[in-house]
Formats: sequence, C-alpha cells, structure tokens
Amino acid sequence: MKRGKIDKADLGKLLVAVSETAQCAGPVADRVGVKLEMLSADSALELAYDNFALSPKLWFFPRSEVIASGTGDALETTLLPEGETVLFGLRPCDAAALELLDKIFLDEAYLDPYYKNRRQNTTVVALACNEPDAACFCTSVGGGPGAGAGADVIAFDLGDALLFEALTDKGKALLTQHEKLLNAPTGDDDAAKTKVIADAGAKLKPVKTDGLADKLSGLFDAPVWEVIGERCVGCGTCTYLCPTCHCFGIYDEKAGEQVQRIRTQDACMFPQFTLEASGHNPRDTQGVRARQRVMHKFSYTVDNVGETFCVGCGRCVVHCPVNIDIREILEEVAA
Amino acid sequence: MTQSNPYLPLPVTIEKITIENEAKDLKTFRLRFQSDEDASSFKYECGQFAMLSIAGAGESPIGIASSPLDEGILEFTVKRYPTGVVTTALHNFDEGETIGVRGPYGNAYPLEQMEGSNLVIVSGGFAFTTLRSTIRYLLDDSQRSRFKKITVIYGARSPGELLYKDELAEWENRDDIEMVVTVDKGDEGWSGREGFVPTVLQEVSPSAENAYVLVCGPPIMLKFTMPPLLEMGFPPSRIITSLERKMTCGIGKCGRCNVGSKYVCKDGPVFTYEQLQQIPEAVL
Amino acid sequence: MSQVETKLRETIKELLDRGEVDLVVGHEAGSLPLRSRPVFIRDAADVDRLVWGSTCSNNLATHLPRLFVRPKNSRAEYAPPTVGIVAKGCDARSVLGLVKEHQLPRDKVVIIGVPCAGMIDIRKAEESLDGARIIAAQEEAGTFKVETTAGEKVLTLAEMLADGCAECSHPTAPEADVVIEGDARPAAGERYLQVEAFEAMTAEERWDHFTSEISRCIRCYACRQVCPNCYCVTCFADQTKPRWIGAADELSDLMAFHIGRIFHQAGRCVECDACVRACPMDIDLRVFTQKLPKDVEALYGYVAGVSAEGVPALLTFSENDDQGFISEP
Repeated sequence: MKRGKIDKADLGKLLVAVSETAQCAGPVADRVGVKLEMLSADSALELAYDNFALSPKLWFFPRSEVIASGTGDALETTLLPEGETVLFGLRPCDAAALELLDKIFLDEAYLDPYYKNRRQNTTVVALACNEPDAACFCTSVGGGPGAGAGADVIAFDLGDALLFEALTDKGKALLTQHEKLLNAPTGDDDAAKTKVIADAGAKLKPVKTDGLADKLSGLFDAPVWEVIGERCVGCGTCTYLCPTCHCFGIYDEKAGEQVQRIRTQDACMFPQFTLEASGHNPRDTQGVRARQRVMHKFSYTVDNVGETFCVGCGRCVVHCPVNIDIREILEEVAA
Repeated sequence: MTQSNPYLPLPVTIEKITIENEAKDLKTFRLRFQSDEDASSFKYECGQFAMLSIAGAGESPIGIASSPLDEGILEFTVKRYPTGVVTTALHNFDEGETIGVRGPYGNAYPLEQMEGSNLVIVSGGFAFTTLRSTIRYLLDDSQRSRFKKITVIYGARSPGELLYKDELAEWENRDDIEMVVTVDKGDEGWSGREGFVPTVLQEVSPSAENAYVLVCGPPIMLKFTMPPLLEMGFPPSRIITSLERKMTCGIGKCGRCNVGSKYVCKDGPVFTYEQLQQIPEAVL
Repeated sequence: MSQVETKLRETIKELLDRGEVDLVVGHEAGSLPLRSRPVFIRDAADVDRLVWGSTCSNNLATHLPRLFVRPKNSRAEYAPPTVGIVAKGCDARSVLGLVKEHQLPRDKVVIIGVPCAGMIDIRKAEESLDGARIIAAQEEAGTFKVETTAGEKVLTLAEMLADGCAECSHPTAPEADVVIEGDARPAAGERYLQVEAFEAMTAEERWDHFTSEISRCIRCYACRQVCPNCYCVTCFADQTKPRWIGAADELSDLMAFHIGRIFHQAGRCVECDACVRACPMDIDLRVFTQKLPKDVEALYGYVAGVSAEGVPALLTFSENDDQGFISEP
C-alpha cells in the first residue's frame, strides 16, 4: 500500500497494531514539551508539538554506548540490539539528517556496525510540519515542511486525519501490513495536504545561503570568528542537540577486571576536543573552535560528501545560552 | 581492513621491548600477531599508522616503525607522556603480554611515484619512526634498485636520544645510503656531528634535481626546515611530510583529527607541502 | 526606549570617549523574541546596540575572566584592559566573588550598576499562550506586547517573573562604580521557598525528584560554562588522570557531575539562575543548587559576593563554626 489515511481518533489503534510486531516509539507529552519515547498501552500520545528537544539521531547514534567489553586484555563486541523498530513523529528536518549521518556511518570503506544495525532495523515515519517554529529554516538548506528525505513513510496532519505516504519499500511494507486500518485518501485530502504544506512553507523566514560553501572557504582568517568566539561559552548544547553533528569520543572504563570500551558523543566546541597529551592544542581559542563548527557543517562536508550538514531545525538557535544564531552567521557569510 | 567491525582490535603479543633512549621514555615494541590469519590480514605500507589498543586504558595512533617486509611482526616506537593514559599504560607492559592493534590506517609515502628518483630523508626526534620503516624497506635487496641516491639527515637533542642506534651504525657502514646523523649538543663520548637538523641540511645541501624529500619532525623543526628546502629548489609537490593530530576512531568518522576538510587519519597522515598550502588550517 | 536605557547608553558612551574603559560588556537585542544576548562594545559608535530591560538575564560576569588572560608566547609588556560591565545585582556579586578568588583585578573592572526589576522566564510566557507561538515582542515598563500566532497578547513582568528573581536578595549591584538610577525591584522578603518545599519532602521523595531530574542531563555542560564560578582550566569532570567521572550515560556519572558542581558552589553561588536558563533539558537545577547558599548563610552567616572584602566562607574557619554535622558514631 503506497498511501493511506486514518482518523486521528484511530491513531492509537494503529500504533497498538504496529507494536505487535515491532517496538514502536512516538511523541509523548513530557514534563516539559514532547519527546520521542517507546510507546506503551497508556502512553499519552501528543501530536501538537514543534519538535523534540533531543534529535532522533540518538536512536541510531546514542549519547553513549558500549561498543566492546571484556575481561583482562581481550575485547569483544557487545551484542547488538535486535528486532524491528518503528519511529513515528520525526519532523522532516530530523529525518533528512539521518540521510546525512548515513554518509558518515554507512561509508562502505569502514561500515559502522552499531549504527548500521539500528538503521536497517528501523522504519522511520516522519510527521510533516503544519506550523514552523520561530527558528526553523529548513527550506533554506534544501529541506521543507513536507520533504521526505530520510523517511520511509511521511504523514501529513490534515486536521482530523493523518495521511500516510510511503517513500521506500520499507515504508510500503509497513503500510501494507496495516492496510486494514487505513482508508484510501480522496482528492480533497490531497488538496488539503498541499495547502497545509504550502502554508507552512510560506511562514518560514528564508536565510540567504547561495554560494555559501565557496564563500566560506575564502573566510578562514576573517575576524567574524573571534567575534563569535568572544561570546561563545564553549558548552556542547548546539552540538548535542544538532541532528547532524556526529563527532564522538571512545573511552575505556574498568571495574575490577571488567573493561568496557564506550563511545560517547563529543563536541568540537569543547576546548579539550583536540588537546594533545603534549599539551599542544591546534584549536586553542573559542573563535577557532566556532569557526570549525561552521566550516565543518557548511564547507568541509560539502567538499567531502557533497552535502551541507544542517537541516535548519533551529535547535541551536533556540537553546544557545548566548543566542549565537547560525542564521545570522550564514547571512553575514553569504552576503 | 582487518575485520568486519572496524572498531575491534586484533590481539598481539609483545615479543620484545627495546628502550631506545637515555631518558627511558621511548620504547620500541615488537608485536607478533596471534594467528597467521591476523598477520596476513594486516598488509601495510611505509608511512601508515595503527591504533594501539590497551583494554582499560584506551587507544593511541602510532606510526608503524617496522618494514612491510618484516614478516608476521609489527614494530612501534612509543613515547610515554606523563599526561597520556595510553602511553603510560603501554610503558608498564612486559614482554609476553597481550595488547591490541587496529589498522593499518592512513595513506602511505608515495614510493611508486618516487621510483627512479633520488630520495632525501630529513627527520628529527622521534618523528623518525615511519621513516625508519621506509629506510628498512628501501634498503631491502628487493627494493633498493628502484631508487637512486638515498641521503638521510637525522638528528636528536643529544646522543642518548637517538633512536635505533644499532641500525644507524649499520647503515653508516653501507655504501648504498648516505647517513648524516647529528645531535643538537654532543657529550664526551660523541665524536659525530653537532648542529640542528635545518642547519645540517643546509650544510649537506642535497641536490633537488630529480629528487623527493621526506621530512618528519616536531613543529619547530619543520618551521625551520621547509624554507631551506624550498630555497634549495625542491618543489612543494615533492616535499612530503606526515601530520599528527589527536585521533579517536582512525577511520574518518569521529571528526577529531580534521585539518580543514581533510581527515589526517584517512586523507593523510602523509601530505605533500603543496597539498598543505591549500589547507588554511594546516599551519606550516 | 526607557529612560534607563537612554541613560545607560549615554553613560557608556562617555566612559568610552573618556578612555575610562577599553570595552564594555552589556546586553543587546537577541535574534528571537523575548531574548537578549551579551555584547562587547569597544567603539562609542556602537553604544546604540545596548539595551536594558527584563530580558537581560545573562550573567555577564562569565565573560570577564577570559578578557584578562595574558596572550601566550608574547614578550610584550602585558597591559590588562579596563572592562566595564553592565551589572544587575547578581552580575556584580559574581564579579566581587571572582575578585576575591583572584580571577579578576578589581581596579580593572568598572561595575556599571543598573536597576533590575526582575527578569522574565520565557517558558512561563510560552506556557501562558496555550500552544500559540510567539512571533515578536515589545517591552515597555513592566509589560510586554506579544504578537503570537493567535493574535496579540499583553503579558506582564509579574506573570512571567523568573522564580530566581522572585526570591532575589540583591536586585542592584553592590559596590557599583557607576550607578544608573531607576526603579529596581525591592529585595525579596521571603526567600528559599522552593528549597524549603523540597526540604519538607521525605528522603525518598527528594531522591526520586533528584534522580528523575538529573537523568535528563545530556552532559552538554551549559550549566558549567555559563556559571561565572566555573572557571577551572580543566574541570574535574574532564580530567583523564585520574578519571573522576565516567564518560557514559550512567546515572551515577550524571549525579557525580552535578553533585560535584553543586557542592563547588558552596559559599560562591549568587543565585543568578544562569545555569537554570542555560539547561536545554529544563532540569530543575535551581532547587538543588540554591540549597548550598541557603545552608552556608544559615551555618556561617556568609552571603557570596556582597563585598570585595573578606574571605570566602569555605576558605576559612572559626572556632564557633556550627558542628551539627558531626554525628554520634
């Protein structure tokens, strides 16, 4: 089944049906905001939200995971999680980010088995946006409120109903599996969907990004970096909340003879990210570190894999404690 | 690539530990693979590095010091840093114990490209390790005729700090390689050359004609060595060096070793001076 | 624009023109509604960027120590700058605390005291809008005209007042070098109400609250980086030899970091709420952290940062210090 519609009142039933053959996660109201959580029988499903505070990259690239463990000198891979998972409710920006992360972690030369295992066992059902947030700018970086990159199925909120469209074979299989609960969409539904997406898109404030990568490569020594660096406090908020940031560290921990090799997320904004044992630090000012972040996402990844590593989700803009706004930086560069 | 999981090291036994210097903080570890399968899966070239893994301490990227023609074993010369968790742990290991190795990673010195040319090798301190791998390889009967004149200029702070002293002596006795060994400051027993590597380089003044130069050393040495090399007429595309950065994954994912858009672990560590001139972040 | 804002700009322009300061750290309008952000003014021509109002919540003292770091590898004679700071009570108390801990030279910092009416908590603004989103906002004398996706709304400072400001003991800067006159809020009569409510819970309830809040932590260290008191070159949480705190997401590691950081605030925290505001996971840091200054005040009669004189509470002892913590074996 390629497309199907369901009344919102019946959504719970659908998710229960999905949960019978796969672990299903969806948007659940939290103490503050809405988060993506494994659903249980009494989960309070919530469809009115901007976005999850934490990006869904955590489902594939967790904040920390044990990649190997052992006793004494020997290390073995830990058992990887098995079983199918369905993630429902990713915004198109977060889904698009998964495609970008694939380019790093699923690179043929060195396939990341941990990421691959989760990615291939997961079906992503995105939820298109009806209302952008103040800091959203997906259309300025190649995305859109109804874009399907990175998703297997995309759902459109038509008010009383959700319209599902399969984008991949995995997505088609999921809809087919539950087609008894889905109805055929009508021409009105299509018109409603088009309008909802167009309205949402019109509300987005565009950010100038033409020729960004090229302009950035000439700005390595520009004074703008130290100006940003003066205000930047060097926390990891922007990096950790970003759906495409993927730098990590690997640390060993011992408890008696038991050893665990743990991979954790890391941030180039931290001073000790590049600090060498000799004491030398190739990036020793906050301005240089801020430059690295912007260059990596908007210039270096373009050089290496042909993509900008920003999906315009706006999390870094909203949560930076000193209101460093990437949109302002991009406009200054693209000018 | 050695395994389906690029994060898992292969176990190796420490066969021999040689203390290289007077300060006793530089040791060469000879490691033997624990199975033939492992050994044959680890095919490397001069200039590459590997991640040495110590369960419970972590991993550290170290240049391979043995020659690819040395069968079944790997050698690494490792400096112990007091602040370094892994290097300190490694220096506490004994012969017979097991550690792990992941690799080989990185690109190699472009020996094919350099075939038929004269080679000048300039190095200081313990950056000499991958060049020692290269010299051992070049001097092998199967390889020597591929290259013309080989000149080596290698220096250390003091006589006690010279690495591979026995091999240096051996090479000095050969007539198919010109060895110029120097120290910044000699001692009573030292009858050899005194002088900083950049100065000695200018004294020796190797010809740039049909030549490549491989240069590895601490940042301060490189800073004073590059200008004379350029002055002597070596084109930037024929000056080859090896970069170092803090690394974690070694396979171009974790983002720690980036210099500009390049990953030192994947696009490097070997770069030509010409390539480095294109990368603003590579401070030369 | 308010009178205070005008006076602030004029005053700072004068200070810069007369060369009495090399730069001033203040607030400018942010890029999102109801937000401001730190600004570093070096040129008198830029003073019009400065704003003052109830969105100016950042603790600017955090940015000062970095301005006094000697440049590395420089043989030139080091001449520290003279830095002005637009200071609410909490900013100034942080400055005085840093002076006492030898992180700032008092004679090189010009405290420009501004009258603080209290700061808004944006979350309270958002919660009062029933799902409508804020498009723009304009502040004027204690009220905010907010343009939302559901029309215009007027919100008052009182409705949106940050919890920390409701209990503020020092709305204006102690030991200010320059004072911008205006109406500050009065010092709070009742303080530590939230902490007392927390203390009144059972041990199990308190542990549950601590656990559920701290388990949300993502180790971004925003709380640490915005705090003026966290200036260690290498934080205990980042040390590798020895590794005090594990790198993983173990709850015990998260707790160890927060317990360590919170206890390092004893006798130093000025209750500015910077950590609370910075936390992207909305962790209830206030109730845990505020317990430390409450206890230090109760036990030793010491309040952080009200003067540049005196020794910080935890750097000294006296014979009649409270010994109630010593229990019978």
